[in-house]
Amino acid sequence: MKKRNRLFILASLGPALLCFAVMFAYPLVRTILMSLYRLPSLSSRMTDWEYLGLQNYTELFKSSVFIASLKNIALIWLIGGALTLSIALLFAVILASGVKGKRFWRSAIYLPNTVSAVALSTMWLQYIFQNKFGLLKQLFTGLGLESLAKINWTSPKYLFWAMLLSYVFGSVGYFMLIFLSGIERIPHDLYECARLDGAGNWTQFWRITFPLIRDVFRTCLTLWTVTSVNFFVWARMFSSKASVVTITPVYYLYDKVFGTANAGTVLNVGAGAAVGVLVAVIVLVTYSVMNRLLKEEELEY
Amino acid sequence: MKSKHRITAGKILGILRYVPLVLWVGFFAAAFGWIFFASFSTTREIFSNELLSSGLHLENYANVWRDNTVSRYFFNSILCSGLSCALIILISAPAAYVLSKKTFWGKGLTFNAFVLGMSVPQVMLIIPIYCWFVQAGMVGKLSTLVILYTTLNVPYTVYFLTAFFSTIPSALSEAAQIDGCTQTRALWKIMIPMASPGIITVTIFNFMNTWNEYFMALIFANGNDRIRTLSMGLQSMITAMTYTGNWAGLFAAVMMVFLPTFILYLFLSDKIVAGITGGAVKG
Repeated sequence: MKKRNRLFILASLGPALLCFAVMFAYPLVRTILMSLYRLPSLSSRMTDWEYLGLQNYTELFKSSVFIASLKNIALIWLIGGALTLSIALLFAVILASGVKGKRFWRSAIYLPNTVSAVALSTMWLQYIFQNKFGLLKQLFTGLGLESLAKINWTSPKYLFWAMLLSYVFGSVGYFMLIFLSGIERIPHDLYECARLDGAGNWTQFWRITFPLIRDVFRTCLTLWTVTSVNFFVWARMFSSKASVVTITPVYYLYDKVFGTANAGTVLNVGAGAAVGVLVAVIVLVTYSVMNRLLKEEELEY
Repeated sequence: MKSKHRITAGKILGILRYVPLVLWVGFFAAAFGWIFFASFSTTREIFSNELLSSGLHLENYANVWRDNTVSRYFFNSILCSGLSCALIILISAPAAYVLSKKTFWGKGLTFNAFVLGMSVPQVMLIIPIYCWFVQAGMVGKLSTLVILYTTLNVPYTVYFLTAFFSTIPSALSEAAQIDGCTQTRALWKIMIPMASPGIITVTIFNFMNTWNEYFMALIFANGNDRIRTLSMGLQSMITAMTYTGNWAGLFAAVMMVFLPTFILYLFLSDKIVAGITGGAVKG
C-alpha cells in the first residue's frame, strides 16, 4: 500500500517536474554558463566554447546601445509604473464606490488587455498617432490647439513617450482588476463605523482602504516589474529595427542573438546570455528592495 | 445647514467619479469605432477624412481574406492554444493535487521549484532552448510552439491549482478509496471534476496568454505563412499593407483579428475577469 502510494505521487509529479527540469532548471544554469564564454555559433558544442570570464558583461556596459536600453527600461518601469498603478487604483476605487453599471465599466476598462498587442499597437500607430488623419491631430485641431496638433508623435523625439503612453493604456485594466478585488475583500462594517464617526470619503480612503490593500499594492508592483522587464512587443511594433530611442534589454538580446536578418549585427550568443542574466538580476534586486520597503504584515480583518 | 452642504458635495463627487470612466472608455470606443468604419471605407476616404462617403466597401475584407492566409492563422492559433491548454492541465492537475493533499519528502522543495519557475524571466531561458531546437531541427514547426507553450505555463498552473485543491475537502476521495477505488481513479473521477471551476479559470488565463503570445512565436514560428499564428500573421499583413499604402485593408485586417476575440469577450467577460483576479491575488 505504502509503495503504491509512493508510486502514485511520483507518477503525478513526474511530468510537471520534468517540465521544470528541462525547460527551467537546465536552461537557467546553461544561460549563466554561456554568459561567461564566447560561442562560435548558436549550435556549437560546449567543447568549442572559449572562456572569457566576465568580459561579456564588461563589454555590455561599454556598449552605448545597451546602456540606452537600460535607461529606457528604467523609465518604463518608473514612469509607466507610476502612471499605470495610480490610474488603475483610481478606477478601482471608483468602481468599488458603488457606481451604476459597474460590471460594464469593469469589462470595458479591461477590454484592451484582451486584444493582441500587435492589433492594439497598430491602432495607436496607424490611427491615433497618425500625422494626417490621426485621432490626436483631429482632436487638437478641433480644440484649436494648433501647436499640439502639429506634433508628429512617431518622430524620434516623441516616439518613446508615445510608446509608453499606449503601453500604459493597454496595461491599466489588468491592475485595476487586481486592486478592485483587493478593495472588495475589505469588510463593509469598517467603512460604516468610520462614517458613523464622521470620516469623509478622503479620510476613509487614506485611513482604511490604502493601508488594507498594501499587500495588493505589493503584488501589483511585483507583477508590474515582471511584465515591464520583459518589454518587447511594443518596442518592436513601434520601431521594427532596433533604435536607441525604443530599445529595451530584451529587444537588445533579440537583436544580438536572433536578429540574423539584419545584416551588420554581430551574432554574439554569449553577450545575449549575459543580457538574460542581467535582466534576471535586475528583477531579483527589485524584488528584495521592494520586500524591504513594503514589509509584509499579517493583517487580520 | 452643515449637513445639507455635505450632501451636495457628496452628490457632486458622485457625478464626478463617472468623468474618468467615461473619458477613458470613450477614448477607446472612439478609436475602435473609427477604425471599424475606416475598415469599410477606401484609403482615399481615410486620408480625406470622409469615411463611408461612397458606401460600404465590404470588399476590403474579401480582399484581405483572399490575399492572405487569414484562415490559416486562425487555425494555427486555435490549434496551438487549444492543444497547449489541454496538455497544461493534463500535466499540472495531478501534480497540484499531490502537492496539496499528500505529505512526502521534498514537498516544500518541489513547490518552491514551481514558484521559482514562474518568476524566472523568459529571456533567461530562451537561448539554450533555442539551441536545442536548432540542433533537433525543430525551429519553424507548430509542434515546437505547442511544446513551449505547454511547458512554460506548467509552473504557474501548478501553483494556482495547488491553492485551489487545498480548498476542496478530501473526504469524498478517501471514501471512494475505502470502497476499493484506486488513487488514480479517485483523482480523475472525483477530485479533478470537483476542481473544475479552478481548472476553467486558469485555462482561460492560459488561453489568453498563449493566444496573444508574441516573443516565442516570433523566434520559433515566423518563417512562412503556414506556421504563423494570429499575432505573427497580423504583423506580416500590416507590414505589407503599410508598404503598399493600403490603409483600408490594414484596418480591415485589424478588425478581422479583433472582432472574434471581442465577441467571445462579450460572452465570457465575467469569467475572464474572475480568472485574472483569482490568479493574481492570494485567496
